[in-house]
Amino acid sequence: MGDLWQSLPVPVQDGIVTAALLVPGLLVGLVLRRGYAPGPLVGAMLWRFRGANAVFVLLMAASVAVGVGLTAQERAIRRGTAEAAARFDLVIGAPGSEITLMLAAVYLQAADMPLLTGAQYARIAADPDVALAAPLAFGDSHDGHPVVGSTADFVAHLSGPLQAGRMFRTAAEAVVGADVPLSPGDSFHPAHGHGPPAEADAHGEAEYAVVGRMARTHSPWDRAIIVPVEGVWQVHGLASGHAPGAGDRIGPPFDAAYFPGTPAILVRADAVWANYALKSRYTTADMMSIFPGTVLSQLHGLLADVRAAMSVLAVATQAMVAIGVLAGLVLLMRLFARSMALLRAIGAPVRFVLAVVWSYAAALIALGAVLGLILGLGAAVALSAVLSARTDLRIAAGIGWTEVQMVAAFLSLALILALVPAWLSARRPILPDLRQ
Amino acid sequence: MPDALSVATAVPALRATGIEVVAPDGRVILSVGDISIAPGSRVAVRGPSGAGKSTFLQVLAGLVWPQRGAVRWGGTDIAAQTEAGRAAFRRRHLGIVFQDFLLFDELGAIGNAAIAQAFAPRADRDGLRRDAAGWLARLGLGDVGVRGVASFSGGERQRIAVARALAGNPAVILADEPTAALDRGNADALAEDLVRVAAAGGRTLIVVTHDPSVVARMDRVIDFADGRLVADGAV
Ligand SMILES: Nc1ncnc2c1ncn2[C@@H]1O[C@H](COP(=O)(O)OP(=O)(O)OP(=O)(O)O)[C@@H](O)[C@H]1O
Ligand SMILES: [Mg+2]
Repeated sequence: MGDLWQSLPVPVQDGIVTAALLVPGLLVGLVLRRGYAPGPLVGAMLWRFRGANAVFVLLMAASVAVGVGLTAQERAIRRGTAEAAARFDLVIGAPGSEITLMLAAVYLQAADMPLLTGAQYARIAADPDVALAAPLAFGDSHDGHPVVGSTADFVAHLSGPLQAGRMFRTAAEAVVGADVPLSPGDSFHPAHGHGPPAEADAHGEAEYAVVGRMARTHSPWDRAIIVPVEGVWQVHGLASGHAPGAGDRIGPPFDAAYFPGTPAILVRADAVWANYALKSRYTTADMMSIFPGTVLSQLHGLLADVRAAMSVLAVATQAMVAIGVLAGLVLLMRLFARSMALLRAIGAPVRFVLAVVWSYAAALIALGAVLGLILGLGAAVALSAVLSARTDLRIAAGIGWTEVQMVAAFLSLALILALVPAWLSARRPILPDLRQ
Repeated sequence: MPDALSVATAVPALRATGIEVVAPDGRVILSVGDISIAPGSRVAVRGPSGAGKSTFLQVLAGLVWPQRGAVRWGGTDIAAQTEAGRAAFRRRHLGIVFQDFLLFDELGAIGNAAIAQAFAPRADRDGLRRDAAGWLARLGLGDVGVRGVASFSGGERQRIAVARALAGNPAVILADEPTAALDRGNADALAEDLVRVAAAGGRTLIVVTHDPSVVARMDRVIDFADGRLVADGAV
């Protein structure tokens, strides 16, 4: 049995779970309505009290939307942040905070970090398992855009083919991210530091010419400007990474003796297993290796409790609104108490009266739930668009099985609870209601 | 007149004994000794306003439960039934025209007249609707469309209530002042129809009425005053 279940594709499993959640609610309806045709009367009643009904449906929809929106949004943020880390297989830095290293390398959140030396870089670059070892030199900016020193191989790794222009060929050329408002042909003066305290004039007359633009990466790197690491070193008055006789060449191999140091090195192995070997190989007294994706999921894991609290809140809100709606239905019942009494006066079976009131409530609840699912998704999509624009992450909220199942469970529960007004309605004495 | 004249069930005899209905305020509003109504009888119930005529009809329909006495329709004491049992009895045997019509304001003429099809066995639904439509046409409401009955006149509403009561081919017709809202011509036509449909099906017809021309078409008249039966005899 367990094996059979495991052998089913995940969407099929999810579909079955959803259906199973809906079954109790639908079963109540099926049993109540079996052999009867309450549709026309219920439709006419719904239409007659459409104003009050609309208020109920909107109330329900709003509460369901909050729950759906929250969970869909939270998942979208998790996915978006993970996607941004996808190109950063292994990052090596000097021992310190893993989170600081990850935030700096993947999300370009600048921090003062100790440097790796030229000898350390050389050792890593020479490792036969390493396919790419790119220094990442942070610290400068232009107009709020981080200016990061690295290599052409790193740009190719990050962007794939460029969207426009060409790769930098000298230490004074730059390639910009997809969201940087500079185009090939423009030039800029880098500032030291980031944000308002950035010292615009600290680097004197240093100037970069933009020669290319990267393809979109859906990461904060879309806002970054990448220059040859030699450029960053030179702007800071440091050695160029190459022996003085080497001319103006840029890119690896670097000369360890003239290597001013780098806060981080992005490393990629050709084989996935090699990444693990590399990580342990370069976790030493003077080096720290991280999988940014792993650090990120640890961070997400820390938020699991928050997430659980959020879902409890979402469910609690829905339960409260469901109870509110049922209380409202009990009140609304007074409006059609006369009709229900009349049905019983002409001999309608109790189950038929139950079926009418239940169907009435079920129509409102189902409409509210579906509307809420749509509204919640809409809100999450809108919010995601704003977040994507603000963060450069690709935050794409979509409807997931989590939301569908949440709504299904809510719907099922509410459909069972709808028995309460139905039962109360069928219990009222007939004659007083007829005299209304 | 719709052609489905045969009754759905055997017409039961009525035998009520020692009925007493006490209002919540303690006042006795109905106190009747023994009364029997044979199947196929046509009975007029008369009396001044407040005499207990409607209450009597409601007792017969199982809508008011007397504190004392028995109301036997055939073998069933409707006063001793459960709520479900009383509903089933009304559904199977009775066609009731209420004094204040009691229509579903959210439905149209045919929706009201054929309301029973919503809970009738599937096999009976089409027949019920045909019957209801036939009665509406017969009573001059054949082409009123689907507008809600709230906009109908009193006389029109009354005739819809009659169509609803007759649509199920009931064995017993209980009508509370069914012609009160009608002009002379319509009242006479309706009274004639009631008598004809009752006679053709061997149905029992019990009509509360102040209208002498309705009384004249019955074969027995019962007079109430102050909740008591004061006279009972042939017309
Ligand atoms: N629930 C009740 N509580 C108190 N009094 C009641 C109740 N129901 C009926 N009555 C009283 O019982 C009496 C008989 O009422 P009923 O409706 O049977 O009269 P009726 O003969 O049909 O009068 P009408 O010709 O005006 O329709 C009335 O005085 C009425 O006020
Ligand atoms: Mg009356």
